[in-house]
Amino acid sequence: MILGCEPFVTEFPDTSVAVLYESASQNNSTYGGGNIKVVTWNIRFGIARFPFFGDSCGDDVILDDDTIEKNMAAIADSLNVMDADIVLLQEVDVNSKRTGYMDQVQYLLDNTNLNYGCYASMWKADFIPSDGIGRIDAGNAILSKYELTDAERIKLHLRTDQDGLTQYFYLRRNLVKAKIPALTQGGKELFAVNIHATAFATDDTKQKHIDTYVETLSDIHSSGALFVTGGDLNSVPPGSVTDFCLSDMCASEDYHTDGAEEYHKEGSYFENFEGEPDILLPLYNAYNSAIDSADVNLPIHLTHGPSTSYEINDIKFDRKLDYLFTNGSWIDSLSQTHQDAWELSDHLPVSAVLSAEDN
Amino acid sequence: MMKRIISYLLLAGFLFSETRNWDSHSAYLLPQKRWEMGLFQPFRYGYSENLEYSVYPLWFFVLPNISIKKPQNDLAGFTTATQYKIVYPTPFLNMIAKSGIMGIISPEFQLPPMLGLSATWLMSKNMSGLDLTLNSGLDLGIAFGDLDTRSTVDLPLVYHRLGVYYNKWGIHVGADVQKYMTEKIGILADVDLRLLPGFKGNYSLEHKLLISWHKSENFRIMTGYKFVMGEYPYGSDMRLLPYIPMAETWVPIIELQWGKSRK
Repeated sequence: MILGCEPFVTEFPDTSVAVLYESASQNNSTYGGGNIKVVTWNIRFGIARFPFFGDSCGDDVILDDDTIEKNMAAIADSLNVMDADIVLLQEVDVNSKRTGYMDQVQYLLDNTNLNYGCYASMWKADFIPSDGIGRIDAGNAILSKYELTDAERIKLHLRTDQDGLTQYFYLRRNLVKAKIPALTQGGKELFAVNIHATAFATDDTKQKHIDTYVETLSDIHSSGALFVTGGDLNSVPPGSVTDFCLSDMCASEDYHTDGAEEYHKEGSYFENFEGEPDILLPLYNAYNSAIDSADVNLPIHLTHGPSTSYEINDIKFDRKLDYLFTNGSWIDSLSQTHQDAWELSDHLPVSAVLSAEDN
Repeated sequence: MMKRIISYLLLAGFLFSETRNWDSHSAYLLPQKRWEMGLFQPFRYGYSENLEYSVYPLWFFVLPNISIKKPQNDLAGFTTATQYKIVYPTPFLNMIAKSGIMGIISPEFQLPPMLGLSATWLMSKNMSGLDLTLNSGLDLGIAFGDLDTRSTVDLPLVYHRLGVYYNKWGIHVGADVQKYMTEKIGILADVDLRLLPGFKGNYSLEHKLLISWHKSENFRIMTGYKFVMGEYPYGSDMRLLPYIPMAETWVPIIELQWGKSRK
């Protein structure tokens, strides 16, 4: 009876333990020294370029099981080719109606050369009574070849530009942090930190998310430890175009006109509050970026294009939202934006290699 | 031979039928010309000593439904009856297959015409002051077109009731016990098992406990809880109902029922 009263929508304290995973069979789980490859990828819960209602001009919500399985197999294949030691994933479903209740963290562990994982929900509810979403459990994950410890979910601020009912059923974003003892470098412990910041807030919620992120990294740095970090920051780099409203506009929408219901499209405009265009400067100033700040707006480093942009505007990718940073040293020549993975998500993976010698 | 058996059953039903107020789940029919309805119960009407029908009037125009109950001959000291139900859920389901708030089913799905048929055998007996009712029956769900399995509503109470349309058939069995503690106060406990053999999430078990206060022949109020557990596409789940999501709390059922006998 007590179990029958569990919350309908799961809320989280400021910090909580992330859910730990392990692959069904271990595969090269002993670190033999050497450089450490890191990947960040928003995998869009394995729906690839499906015209999902929430983040493109589509109307669909629930993809069929066979296509999900095929997409996840392709993502696993890509990860195997990249052969990373640490993978930071955003938008991973573990028990959601929209993706056939597949546990995608477990699937990727069982089908890649990664052995350990930790997961933190950003959206967990028995039922979302909107758009046919139904049951949902989606969030961020860290996968690693080596064992993770001290896995922690750190809560990010809720949006304040929503009514109470919407906010109750809405996302509860987080960053997830874990220690990887096997990768300790010269006495310095190594942490992985993964974030998925708000995409659609029109208030200063994104600033609060970045502030919490910077504070978390600063604490690790101050303790004398190393970190590799990244994720989908939903922020453009300094010097980037900040207004994508018209290129993201769907057929039935209207922006930048006096009669428009909203002047800017949520998620497509990056000047919602003062300082937003330079919101990532503290990260660039304090730490090393996988893609150098001078190159970050080059076409080869763009990481995102909404799912239906290609069909509508012939745009494959037009902005950078996904990043990797470290307080160690990347081997600059090996950092890469994997634009060949365009068909597998609306975000592209970014990889970089942490130098073992320079740390 | 079959014709004779059916004739006998109908005759026996006519001879031995028994009527009672406030006993919607039992084999007893409503007395002739009496009606009863509740906030969460259907409108029931004793059309004759041998026929009771019921409908959910508020839902009728989007979820056409009707059921009839007919008495059968006594069996091993039990009063028996059969209940037949027909429901056409398509208009309602297509109403909630929409974008935005209250889009319970994804708008990419259009539900085809569907018909739900249900036949239930009811047996009731008073045993040492306890009214016991046993029931069992067969449910059929007929879809006149393609029904996409992704359009299920994966919620307690709902999933297994609609599951019959995806699985094409199901079985239900249950038991009710009712006891009057005083002339005006009674307790009702029931348990119902729904089986959908071969279906992903193939059973649900529902249990209800209600205390009722009979103000008069024309009004009663009930309170209690409903508990449901079962298998779903996402695994096992259980829920105490009614549950208020935003308050994250269970609240007692409050059921008001009215009835009246027409002269």
